[in-house]
Amino acid sequence: MNQSFYGLLLLIFLVAPPVAHFMESHMVIHMHMQMPMLVIAGMLMARFFQKRFPTFFEKWNSNGIPGILLFVIIVVYWMLPRTMDEALTTNSVEVFKFISLPFLAGVSLRDSWKKLSSLGKNIIIIGFTVLFIGLGWLYIWSPVQLCNNYLIIEQVTLGWGFLLTAIGMIVYLGYNFFIDPSAYE
Amino acid sequence: MKMEADLKVGIKEKANKMLGYHPQDAKLSKSYIAVAFIALLVGGFLGLLQGLNRAGLLELPTWFNYYQVLTAHGLLLILVLTAFFTIGYFYATLSHNLGGLLPKVRKLAWVGFFVKLVGFVLAVIPILMNEASVMYTFYPPMAAHPVFYIGLALIVVGVWLCCIGAFIQVANWRKNHKGQHVPILSYFATGVFVLLFFALMFVAVEVLFMILPWVFGWVDGINVMVARTLFWAFGHTLVNIWYLTAVSAWYVVVPKVIGGKRWSDLLTRVVIIALVIMNITGGFHHQIIDPAINEIVKFMHVFMSLAIGFPSLMTAFALFAVFERTARRKGGKGLIGWWKKMPWGDVRFLAPFIAMVAFIPAGAGGIAQTTNQLDQVVHNTMWIVGHFHLTLGMSVVMTFFGISYWLVPFISNRVLTPQINKLGVIQTWIWTVGMICMSGSMHYVGLLGSPRRTSYSTYGDHATALGWDPYLTLLAVGGTLLIIGVILQVYAVFNMMFFAPKGETEFPIAEEEENATKTPYWTERWGLWIVLMIIVVAMAYVIPLTDMIVNAPPGSPPFKTW
Repeated sequence: MNQSFYGLLLLIFLVAPPVAHFMESHMVIHMHMQMPMLVIAGMLMARFFQKRFPTFFEKWNSNGIPGILLFVIIVVYWMLPRTMDEALTTNSVEVFKFISLPFLAGVSLRDSWKKLSSLGKNIIIIGFTVLFIGLGWLYIWSPVQLCNNYLIIEQVTLGWGFLLTAIGMIVYLGYNFFIDPSAYE
Repeated sequence: MKMEADLKVGIKEKANKMLGYHPQDAKLSKSYIAVAFIALLVGGFLGLLQGLNRAGLLELPTWFNYYQVLTAHGLLLILVLTAFFTIGYFYATLSHNLGGLLPKVRKLAWVGFFVKLVGFVLAVIPILMNEASVMYTFYPPMAAHPVFYIGLALIVVGVWLCCIGAFIQVANWRKNHKGQHVPILSYFATGVFVLLFFALMFVAVEVLFMILPWVFGWVDGINVMVARTLFWAFGHTLVNIWYLTAVSAWYVVVPKVIGGKRWSDLLTRVVIIALVIMNITGGFHHQIIDPAINEIVKFMHVFMSLAIGFPSLMTAFALFAVFERTARRKGGKGLIGWWKKMPWGDVRFLAPFIAMVAFIPAGAGGIAQTTNQLDQVVHNTMWIVGHFHLTLGMSVVMTFFGISYWLVPFISNRVLTPQINKLGVIQTWIWTVGMICMSGSMHYVGLLGSPRRTSYSTYGDHATALGWDPYLTLLAVGGTLLIIGVILQVYAVFNMMFFAPKGETEFPIAEEEENATKTPYWTERWGLWIVLMIIVVAMAYVIPLTDMIVNAPPGSPPFKTW
């Protein structure tokens, strides 16, 4: 219950207009800090829903795959330049962002991750790594402005953010592949 | 007769094993510590020359000018002394804690030792030729002779080898001790070597890919802002590596010396983890005056810098808790009366204690400088010089001195005699008074506007500049006391290393308290902490670095300003 409460607090903090305004003023903070933090808020709140509706999750997400698919769809949707623009210009889309990322992506990620096999987890991480490299490439070398609301320099910064995140995930995958924690623990 | 001799050898080996003493490893640490204190001696004298010059008492000859002296003083004391001491101390720790160094680890550390020495000699030659008076920082567009940078690159490689050796040693121990916590002092060593490893990457990129092609003339210009940013990602971390090394002795050794217990193992490990994760990004507060970083980013970095202050507050709390508990157990009474129960006559306590107390004003000064508006006032003044003499010259170096009074006897198989202890206490007080005079006057004269990085000048007898003179004289007085301290300290170290009576010295590591709660195992997950560190670094650096690279002005050619 405690962590769900903190999750709710985090969501309220992120929705608060000065915070939201500041985070959305930089493209990279918008996509790489606000959005993940919304997902994290949802992951914290997931505990509440898991306890409140155990049969729902058991029935619809018994092996984790439906949940993770929902997560992927929501997250990929929010990576499109067009949707970010829309969130800034249309209020209803902004509201959808604040609902979809925590409640559809965050909750389902928390419920699904432990149910996935290690193969499933690796597929997800590798998939996002490839996607991030692609998006990094797109944002860094795109000759035109992709978002109406952000300048090209913001776009390039975001691209580097994507590439670095991808490098981080490759390091993680390599670490997982080469090092067996059970040899040490 | 032979049997008796064999028996003696057998007993000696057994005693060594009990004490965790490994002769070959001790030789390694001894070599490192010896180089560190020779560097202190030479660097100390160069510091005296600078102090006397700044006071207007000594005109340096043209063939050995102020900026050469400054470069050499900085190189010797902030690179050689600290790096060699840290590595010598932590390798002795790893050897003692983890059952002796593996042969390949020892070999790596020796190779690292000689690579560093060669690098150091290469760096010194251009300084002596007045071809590298760049004041020991790698600040383009000031450019030194290429050999200077090649020497520095070799020092980096040497330190890297020592980092890798330490990682191999710790990984091997963990494989053989599954599920156990790495002993606390080796845990500090792991944190320090992780930080060193990653911090050096920034400066390696700067030197290898930016500065060397530029000083060789292969490229026309250099991106000054990117170079400075990479330098400070390393520079700030290096500062905190010294600090973390000193802190390790405060947490682990000092409680043992005063006859107490360690207060909280978990808190200690969390402090180390927090410092490792948050450290590198602190580099930005050294660049508050740099024009090419916008104010929003600078304000963001105030948070990041102040975050590093938080573990230090935890440290202060934990240590004073140890002092009070120990003193009260020994019968100390009253709100302040328990202070009398502390071993004030023991240099192994006194030196680190004064170092710790010095960190209170030093840390407060650091917080002031991190604040944008306050830093605008002091950034290019002697205040900053005072600050790092208070932090490095007092908090860190006095702790190193305190460590030397048991570490050097330990690795030399000798004992600390009461005479040397007394000498150490006298040295500690001389150093304290000297540093208060010098650092205090530097701080104050900085507030009055006296600039740093310049030799003595009255600016055409300008009234303001003449008003600095009394403080600059006090600075020289402090510097003179300090050189007496240096001589005493170096004498004590070499006496303990080669001339003190033979005997066994204990490696002082305090136990945990009896009712201590078990430390959770997640503290051992270094993979996770390193990933978090990389994320924090990415968060801090992506926005400003992209801006500096994409919106870069034309690069700067090399300048020789001297």
